[in-house]
Amino acid sequence: MALKRREFLQVSALAGLAATLPACGSGILAEPDVTAAGFGEAARGTVTMWCRGATQAGVQVVIDKFHASQNQVHINLTPVPDGQYVTKLATAIRSGDVPDIVDIDDINSMLFIYRGVFTDLTSLVNALPYRQHMSPGHLRLATDNDRIYAVPYLADNSVLWYNKQLLERAGVDPTKAVTSLAGLLEAARRIHALGPDVYAWSIAGNSPGILGFVVQPHIWATGTDNISGTLGSQRGHVEGNEPLRKTLEFYRTMWQEKLLPAANYADAGTTWGSDFRAGKIGFFPSNYAATVVGADPAARARTGVTLLPGPEGGTAFFDGGDNLCIPRGAKNASGAWQFAKFALDVQQQQLLPAGGYTPVRGDAATGPFRQKYPLNLAPLDHLDRGYAPVTLAYNLLYNQPDSPFIAMFRRAVFSGDVDGALHAGQQSYDQILQQAQL
Amino acid sequence: MTLSRTDLPAPVRSRAAREVRRPSILGPRSLVHPPAVGLALVTPAVLFVGVFVLAPLAFAIYISLTSWPLIGSYRFVGLSNYVNIFEDGAFWHSVVYTLTYTAIVTLPILVVGYLMAVVVRANRRGSTALRTIFFLPYVIGLSTLSFLLVLEAQPGSGAVNLVLKALHITDGQTAWLVNGPAATGLICVLVIWAVSGLTMVLLISGMQSIPRELYESAEMDGASWWGREFHVTIPLLRRAIGMSLILSVIGSFLAFSQFYILTQGGPGRATTPIVLYIYQRAFVQLQVGAATALSIVLVIVVALISAGQFWLLRERD
Repeated sequence: MALKRREFLQVSALAGLAATLPACGSGILAEPDVTAAGFGEAARGTVTMWCRGATQAGVQVVIDKFHASQNQVHINLTPVPDGQYVTKLATAIRSGDVPDIVDIDDINSMLFIYRGVFTDLTSLVNALPYRQHMSPGHLRLATDNDRIYAVPYLADNSVLWYNKQLLERAGVDPTKAVTSLAGLLEAARRIHALGPDVYAWSIAGNSPGILGFVVQPHIWATGTDNISGTLGSQRGHVEGNEPLRKTLEFYRTMWQEKLLPAANYADAGTTWGSDFRAGKIGFFPSNYAATVVGADPAARARTGVTLLPGPEGGTAFFDGGDNLCIPRGAKNASGAWQFAKFALDVQQQQLLPAGGYTPVRGDAATGPFRQKYPLNLAPLDHLDRGYAPVTLAYNLLYNQPDSPFIAMFRRAVFSGDVDGALHAGQQSYDQILQQAQL
Repeated sequence: MTLSRTDLPAPVRSRAAREVRRPSILGPRSLVHPPAVGLALVTPAVLFVGVFVLAPLAFAIYISLTSWPLIGSYRFVGLSNYVNIFEDGAFWHSVVYTLTYTAIVTLPILVVGYLMAVVVRANRRGSTALRTIFFLPYVIGLSTLSFLLVLEAQPGSGAVNLVLKALHITDGQTAWLVNGPAATGLICVLVIWAVSGLTMVLLISGMQSIPRELYESAEMDGASWWGREFHVTIPLLRRAIGMSLILSVIGSFLAFSQFYILTQGGPGRATTPIVLYIYQRAFVQLQVGAATALSIVLVIVVALISAGQFWLLRERD
């Protein structure tokens, strides 16, 4: 039978359309039955796991211990670069070929939970005997409509470190100075007066992620956030946010008075903490990894730690870190949950400081742990002060180089235009949140 | 007297029309092969284009009409992704930035490429080595060069700052990639240096095809070196120059890797060109539907600009 041109084109078009249709789909995979008898116990087979590149070493240690403890479940770990994690996981979910368990930055958990692609773990988490000791900040980032879709795994918190020797020489009592930004500013001036090569404070002024990590707790300490409203209808709370204005003015004053090193202007975080560890800095808002892990014993001995204060009181810390989630469509969800429970055991949690992290269980701070890791205790003893915003746009608002928070910070602090920075910030926050919640 | 087609009676006209139309079902009928042979020969190409060009394009248009997120389910939203483009201030900022960037680099790329072609067009000793040296940055590629520049632009330690300090132009502490205008300037210099080699290659082939006699005639008529360039070389290079400009403008409109590597669009949105903005909408904001609508608009805009350039640079006989 001869095919006419019109028929040929029709057949070709239909074939092309048919080729595209399999790619269409809802992207929502089947949810594992977590209520099945024996779920998470005596599982078998291989569990595929993704972790952030930054946490690979720590996760691998726990996996090795898990393998040594049993031989029925094998964990196959794939590290994914932090900057590509969300995109790669989203692509994997879209393709329908997902890992059985993911170790994900807790701030990004809601991005996936809101789209309904993680397994509801509420009953499993609530059944854990140490449920009440778990980091409430982590759990808040894993909860949507009272359902829990992740279990906290490790904490990476921002706190305020100080050089006890410099503070003593400057006559600064940290218990009194670190109660307000005015007190900190006064202390900063006295510390810088010790010598031209001694600076009061250090911050990576060109690193969007670090700025969001260490500056925001000053605002959260007052019970305020830069974002207002509930998920799905959030907008910026920038103009008229007095704690934010006071925090930016605090940094602006320190920059003007040269209490910060000039190198802070361009510091993208590549040498974060090296100046503090060298003993040249009085106060250093940062995390345990950047401050303590690479420090020699003398540097550790002269280091003190406290939570970050609000402009006129209160304290907070960034409740960062990782959650463990089981994507819908996981083939060995039972084995994944068995591993998650193992990773949450106190013995494994107490290994976390060696890798630069903090346990997510308050009851991990046993006597021996306190003796071994005294600088790891500040957030652990005040888990209720931990906070991080529940939003679909954290990466866009804070972690990207074009994020409005770093633009606002730099314009206010380095250029001195606080009003202009807040006005532009409000517009950018609103626009980004509107787009992210479409 | 000859009969025209309209002079024929109606039945004869319709028969004549059928006779003309009948062979045109699959084009003019071959005298030696049946139509099935032609069909079989073009089918692979048609399938290839259909599966790898037309179907993805149709699918992209479909995606652009949905809320398609990278995660989760989607819904049909009609033309709202296209309508929203008009209200997307960040997109228009990236459009203005891309136009500015294109305006800055296009002419220097042509001028530098032309000058390099002038230097190496004659087959003198060392010309081949110079051609290789001039073309080398293009071979190395913008991505590799951008990664190198990340290191060389560091305040205090990068070669850019060390050289400028040695020349007493700056104090050597300039944070090039933290300042929008400075970063743009640095990227423009990088691109002009890296891409001019391609323009040089395009122009050399045109220059070498110009008959030597034309230059000799011009010289006998008293034309200076500049006169020969302006009245002989450039007019005869019209097509090659046109092609260089079109490639350069399209390349500037689609610029991505150098910005992604060097500034990631920052500080703020100060160095965000259109393609980087589309990438961010798709893979950072995870809004594939909106990003696809932007991509389709970009394709149309680039096609229109290229068509306009072709029209402006067409041969006028």
